[in-house]
Amino acid sequence: MSARGAAAERNSGMKKTTEKRKNREKEEQQQEEEELPMFDKNADKVGHLDDTDEEKEDLSDSEESVFSGLEDSGTDDDDDEEDDGDDDDDDDGDDASGEEEEEQDEENHNKVEKDPAAGETSLTPQTEDKPAKSRKLKKKKSVTSGGDEEEERGKSERDSGLKISSQVDEYEQDTSDEEDIRNTVGNIPMEWYKDFPHIGYDLDGKKIFKPIRSKDELDEFLEKMENPDYWRTVQDKMTGSDVRLSDEQVDLVHRLQHGKFGDINFNEYEPAIDFFSNEVMIHPVTNRPEDKRSFIPSLIEKEKVGKLVHAIKMGWIKPRRPKDSAPLYYDLWAKEDPNSILGRHKMHVPAPKIRLPGHEESYNPPPEYLLTEEERLTWEQQDPEERKLSLLPQKFPSLRAVPAFTRFIHERFERCLDLYLCPRQRKMRVNVNPEDLIPKLPKPKDLHPFPTTQSLVYRGHSSLVRSISVAPGGQWLVSGSDDGTVRFWEVATARCLKTVEVGGAVKSVAWSPNPAVCLVAISHGNTVVLMNPGLGDRLILSATDQLISSYEEPTEVKDQPVEWSLAEGTEHQQGQRLILTHPRAVKQVTWHGKGDYLACVMPDVSSNVQVVIHQVSKRRTQNPFRKNKGMVQCVSFHPIRPYFFVATQRHVRVYNLIKQELTKKLMTNCKWVSSMAIHPGGDNVICGSYDCRLAWFDLDLSTKPYKMLRHHKKALRGVAYHRQYPLFASGSDDGSVIVCHGMVYNDLLQNPLIVPVKVLKGHTITHDLGVLDVAFHPTQPWVFSSGADGTVRLFT
Amino acid sequence: MSQLQARFFTEYKKFAIDDVPFSIPAASEVTDLSNVINKLLEFKIADHKHVEFDFLVRGQFLRTSLANHMETENISTEEVVEIEYVQKFTAPQPEECIMHDDWISSVEADSEWILTGSYDKTARIWSLEGKAVMTVAGHTDVVKDVAWVKRDGLSSLLLTASLDQTVLLWEWNSERNKVKARHCCRGHAGSVDTIAVDPTRTKFCSGSWDKMLKIWSAESQVINKIKRPDSDKNSFSSLQTPLMTLSGHGEAVSSVLWTDAEELCSASWDHTIRLWDAETGGQKSMLTGSKVFNCISYSPLCRRLASGSTDRHVRLWDPRSKDGSLVLLSLTSHTGWVTAVRWSLSNNHQLVSGSFDNMVKLWDIRSCKAPLYDLAAHEDRVMCADWTESGVRNRWRLCVCCELCVVCENCIVLLVGTGRFYT
Repeated sequence: MSARGAAAERNSGMKKTTEKRKNREKEEQQQEEEELPMFDKNADKVGHLDDTDEEKEDLSDSEESVFSGLEDSGTDDDDDEEDDGDDDDDDDGDDASGEEEEEQDEENHNKVEKDPAAGETSLTPQTEDKPAKSRKLKKKKSVTSGGDEEEERGKSERDSGLKISSQVDEYEQDTSDEEDIRNTVGNIPMEWYKDFPHIGYDLDGKKIFKPIRSKDELDEFLEKMENPDYWRTVQDKMTGSDVRLSDEQVDLVHRLQHGKFGDINFNEYEPAIDFFSNEVMIHPVTNRPEDKRSFIPSLIEKEKVGKLVHAIKMGWIKPRRPKDSAPLYYDLWAKEDPNSILGRHKMHVPAPKIRLPGHEESYNPPPEYLLTEEERLTWEQQDPEERKLSLLPQKFPSLRAVPAFTRFIHERFERCLDLYLCPRQRKMRVNVNPEDLIPKLPKPKDLHPFPTTQSLVYRGHSSLVRSISVAPGGQWLVSGSDDGTVRFWEVATARCLKTVEVGGAVKSVAWSPNPAVCLVAISHGNTVVLMNPGLGDRLILSATDQLISSYEEPTEVKDQPVEWSLAEGTEHQQGQRLILTHPRAVKQVTWHGKGDYLACVMPDVSSNVQVVIHQVSKRRTQNPFRKNKGMVQCVSFHPIRPYFFVATQRHVRVYNLIKQELTKKLMTNCKWVSSMAIHPGGDNVICGSYDCRLAWFDLDLSTKPYKMLRHHKKALRGVAYHRQYPLFASGSDDGSVIVCHGMVYNDLLQNPLIVPVKVLKGHTITHDLGVLDVAFHPTQPWVFSSGADGTVRLFT
Repeated sequence: MSQLQARFFTEYKKFAIDDVPFSIPAASEVTDLSNVINKLLEFKIADHKHVEFDFLVRGQFLRTSLANHMETENISTEEVVEIEYVQKFTAPQPEECIMHDDWISSVEADSEWILTGSYDKTARIWSLEGKAVMTVAGHTDVVKDVAWVKRDGLSSLLLTASLDQTVLLWEWNSERNKVKARHCCRGHAGSVDTIAVDPTRTKFCSGSWDKMLKIWSAESQVINKIKRPDSDKNSFSSLQTPLMTLSGHGEAVSSVLWTDAEELCSASWDHTIRLWDAETGGQKSMLTGSKVFNCISYSPLCRRLASGSTDRHVRLWDPRSKDGSLVLLSLTSHTGWVTAVRWSLSNNHQLVSGSFDNMVKLWDIRSCKAPLYDLAAHEDRVMCADWTESGVRNRWRLCVCCELCVVCENCIVLLVGTGRFYT
């Protein structure tokens, strides 16, 4: 058993004793595992004390100083003792200094006593290897502390007190420096120093002096007689000091002298087991010598090899087939057109780069990157895809403490997926600026002329003005109101030139578009009055009167739904010429472009006679529709072709009057159509509805609205096209007239351009009604509007 | 810059001061300068009375401080500034108000009488004091325009144009106070909206809604022969046919005038002003605007044409320029249609404009940013305006008429400028 083993044993024994002590003393329980450092600490401290002691000794006693080089082990011991003593002191409490000194003396004495023992132990390192201080220490302890429990206890106590600041001496166990560092002269015959007073040099380069041997023969003898250990004291050649051999060493010496093994436990006489025995084993071994043939090459093989050699010589076999230089993988781009490589490179998309690690991925991230408890909880609750961070930032004291990254494989795999699934073709993403999607509308100021300001107000009506109409020349304006009057105005000055009482709320007025006659159709109640207002060219006025008076009663009287009668008396003087009595209330009158036909609307869900068309020159009335297709809201003639537009609540039907058939049915997508106007070109229709919409139909395009404008806030009451300018206007219950630029191009491929250009306000809202009718001036870009406030306004 | 070198001069000998540069504060305004001039005059003329002056720097009226004005006009302050001073034109005050019982469509004043046409189908003659002298009735419809032709002693010739498509030439004897229709000019197919008598007072031109201009003779001898016995409808002594018809306008003619004896100028709703040769009947040139023209006026003094249109602006044109639409100046202050514009007969810088915004504005084209005075005496829309030719040299009157439609009571307000020093 080696000394180290013994030391370990003792060490364990130490532990036991410490444990015992711990049972008694509760405050040191937690430091049990740090026993080793405890010892180290002890040793360290001891070393320190040792230095001071050494110095002291150097100063005081020269003899002592001679031993200083050898003191290492000894001082350890000594310090131990001293420490122990200290501990004792601690245990005892505060003693007088004098007592301490006494004890110190005692300890010194002990030291002297134990010094030989130290020398003994120090032998061990010389012979085998130099053990660490602690081990020596332990060894010492095992030697010295036969049963000195108190000493042990005090020591461990002290140790426990020092444990906290204990540091591991890394070179504690280092055995690399095997040489005896007490003397630096090395492994040389020490006789060389026979004639010198010193025996070598210590680590500091100081001479190690030989111990003064002033002993004469007598002293030698006396010591031989008195010292019981004289027989086991040998001189250390390296230091020249006397070393007392321990029992084990003495034992070892004895054993060697007797030609025995140094190790006690070594059994020289192990029972021999015969390897090749008669016993049958499952894996039999034999000691039969090898056959001779095993050393002779095989003939068969020789023959075979000869054949191969022959074949190679003859060139039948190629010894090394030339390597196929063609790669084994399939060249995907082998057949690619070399010119297209350029294209491929152009489309090259580099693999996505891994994001560089940030602070949060550091092993020691700044504190602001560390997640708080709440953040950590939310992080854990989030889906892995949703997480902002793929890992939790953690703080480690050192890089060594960072554990293996558990997601490493996973992450590598994902990276591979990234590379593999990375789209290698450039996505032709179209960057669309939302503003670009807005159609490029010309600025309103580029679309002049259009009405911009209110210029004139035609005041005079006392109730809401339902309908207005402008004379074809543009000099006069007629307005019909709920106060039972029709007023004729001079457009340029807003002068009311004529007021005609018709005796009923006027629903609709319409100036005949024929410039050769001057007739105004006025509807109130069941009657429609054709009036010659007496304004304008006298020749035309007389021609109009002539036209009416020249009528000759036809011979056969047809049954007509409408009764025609001539106005007489005051009515005639007022200008009324013909009075047409209808079966029901007439809501709207409208002229054909030639001014001979006049259509009247009598809305009624149940009747088949909702629309009648009158021919003024022949005083004929016809009912063009046999069937009731819904309540008719308004009608209009096509300005050029023989078409007739009939607007019911939801649809506008276009009839061909000559063929007498339905041509088109326009879906307005509105709930209730209120008004309708036909573009002077005839291919476009606008419909205003009570649900605030204005639908523009391009008849060539579709039966669905080309454009739907929802620019009014309330129900639309009237819409109108300008005859010359690309303008249309809509009047609404919100009191405003909105003028839009509505350009219709001659080019059939170009869709109409619709730009709202102006909101005209002026009418005050009366009884929730605003603008009731709008009409354009025939030649100027002016719009008239009639409102519920009893005024007609001109915007220019 | 606190002081400026300025030299004052004037065209009025009476107020002339020494032609030496003065150093005046740059911040001084019109009143300060006026005080300076008055001080200087007091030194020079013993019995000088205080006169308010107005100042012109390079042809522009001074309206702010001198420094500001020069900065905006980019006039160097290093040199001596030439400042012209004129006697200040004092604010016109309403002098008389003549009530009419219907809208007044037109007014024409001469040195003694004021002639108005009205929507009650009559024309009236008023004395300058506002006394109704004569009512000229004969039209069957609204009288749209009136004009004095000439005066021979006590008898005067006057014209009325009407919505009934005729122009009537009347002879009025102021002594007997009798009016007689000399003849009826029939030929227009629309209402005759404007008439103008040529400088020789022998012809007149009428413009109508039917887009035509017709030149008629104002001489009665010629037409007497063409008497129409069959015209039983009217009682007029004679009918007259036009000497010439000028056609070319695309819309109604709103205003016509003679620029000189051979040249006619007409404004129309078709956004053009056309110049015609009255001899040949050909169109000489055309000025194109962007809005309907309501009225034009020509000043022989400054040879400028002023037009009032439906877009609130009064524009000044040079009728001699060949390239149509050259606007020299735009006077913007009105907020409604400009329906009347009239150059001063004596002052080549002044004109008056009336608008549907109830305002009459007196402009000096030397300060075109703002009118000289706003005459806000009217409560209704201004329909027409005219200057009187006063017999007294220094008294000028401005006749403006407006409608007062609500109660059908209309008035003429005579506005008198009391400034005495016009040339």
